[in-house]
Amino acid sequence: MAAAPDDKAIAKNLPFRAGLLLGLTVIIGVGFVLYVLWARGVFEATQRLTLVSDNAEGVSIGMDLTFSGFPIGRVYRIELGDDGRARIDVRVPLKDARWLKKSTIFTLERGIVGSARIRAFTGNLQDESLADGAERPVLRGDTSEEIPRMVASLRSVLQNLEDMTGSTGSLQASLGNVKTVTERLAGKGGVLAAALGSDEDAKKVLLAIDHANTLLSRMGGVAQRLDGVLAKADDRLFGNGGVVDGTQRAVDQANALLGEVRESLKGVDRILADAQAVSGNAKAASRDLSALRAEVDASLRKVNSLIDEINRKWPFNKGETQIRLP
Amino acid sequence: MDTPEHAAHAIRWFEAWGHAARFALAAAAAALSRETYSAATRAVAVRQIYFTAWQLLPGFTVFSAVLSLLVIQITVNAARAYGLSDYALELVFRVLVLELLPFGTALIVALRSGSAISAEVALMHASGELEAMRAQGIDPLKREFVPRVVACALSVAALTVITCAIALVLAYIAMYGVSPWGFAPYTREVAGVFSIAILAGFILKSMTFGVVVAGIPIAAGLEANANLKSAPIAVMGAMVRLILALAVIEFVSLAVKYA
Repeated sequence: MAAAPDDKAIAKNLPFRAGLLLGLTVIIGVGFVLYVLWARGVFEATQRLTLVSDNAEGVSIGMDLTFSGFPIGRVYRIELGDDGRARIDVRVPLKDARWLKKSTIFTLERGIVGSARIRAFTGNLQDESLADGAERPVLRGDTSEEIPRMVASLRSVLQNLEDMTGSTGSLQASLGNVKTVTERLAGKGGVLAAALGSDEDAKKVLLAIDHANTLLSRMGGVAQRLDGVLAKADDRLFGNGGVVDGTQRAVDQANALLGEVRESLKGVDRILADAQAVSGNAKAASRDLSALRAEVDASLRKVNSLIDEINRKWPFNKGETQIRLP
Repeated sequence: MDTPEHAAHAIRWFEAWGHAARFALAAAAAALSRETYSAATRAVAVRQIYFTAWQLLPGFTVFSAVLSLLVIQITVNAARAYGLSDYALELVFRVLVLELLPFGTALIVALRSGSAISAEVALMHASGELEAMRAQGIDPLKREFVPRVVACALSVAALTVITCAIALVLAYIAMYGVSPWGFAPYTREVAGVFSIAILAGFILKSMTFGVVVAGIPIAAGLEANANLKSAPIAVMGAMVRLILALAVIEFVSLAVKYA
């Protein structure tokens, strides 16, 4: 109607244009269909390969079988076998079948992202070729199946870690102990305090050593005076047997005691050297120190009692010759 | 008071679909009859192809190429960014080539030629031209309508094939550049997506789109009466039903493919 004048103007080459368009369409369409058929391997000779798996999840028809990252075959069919195992029928073009040998291993892997992959690994390319229609088991690896297991073990590891590092954990307690020891090491008592457990004990040990030193020096004085006294006594009172005898005994005892004290003080010197050198055997030193302290105390008590005895037996000049312990 | 009007409306709606279905059956029967194919009907068909496909071709080709390029670039780049470039081509094929382009083509042809056909038939009906034809012993169905339906189906198929071919080429270039070495992986992707069933479904869907694009407007145009004012209403009803039908076909196709 309205388009009638136009129709006449273009009427000449109308069929040609329509034919051109339809011809182009047919050529493209048929060409594409042939291309798809060729791409799908319809015109290609293939050989069959059946892969047997306990689970064909993620496998789809048309999926590639890859070798060294290159697709060499395609899944043609998936079915459940009589034994309850999945049978994956793969068609491999003959030109690509040379990569598949008798020793070839097939794997079916599922990643977190994407579909499953079937891969072939051939270790020895000189091996005998895989026959048409061969049936092979497929090894399966599934990342999504691994995840729950991994999470479970990770959780127990984290729990252990938390137990160790928590406020009541053993690691925390150990660190607390280390801190106390280092504080003591840095404190007044130094290694001794760290070894003995407290500053007070360390002070006592140091005091005992000081006392022992003082005692030693006084003992030297006492021994000299005693020698002098004995000389006098020898001169003056040699005849008086009772006094001389008693004094002689006392002096013998004193000498023996002084020997003991000297031994003890040698021990003190040794331990002092150990302690002051901040050696690693601080603990052993502390054990020795307590034993030594007891020894020193015992020696001092013995000396004390001896001096008391001397004072008691000393008949002359009481005020001058009074022997005092430090 | 409203209810009888609604009921009448609903009845008219069903009647309209009934007309369309009856017309489709009659047209299919006529298309199978040999006497439908004469020089006169061929001339009608050729003219319809010219108006529907040839005139539309340059503009629509450019439009669909730009749209395709956009979708392809977005898909390929996004897939690369996420490390999923293996799936980019499959996505382009499935979304663009198999769904968007056929549906877009059918929609454009429906808006352009469907409305024109509907109006033309309504005016032929109103002006008594169809009656005159029948009086001369010419069946308007065979002479005017079936050639248009066939021509529309061919036009939609042609436009779809050409735009899809352009999209396939653009997808190759976007993915691999102009290098010939992408051909093997590209072929593998094509083989993976276009199975025989998918191809058959694609062809069937395109043909259905083409038939519906002409068939529903003609059936709607025949509903017009001698009053010229009934023509716009007929055209409106044709377009509503046509777009609804296209959507239903697309949904059914998707459901069959992916559900």
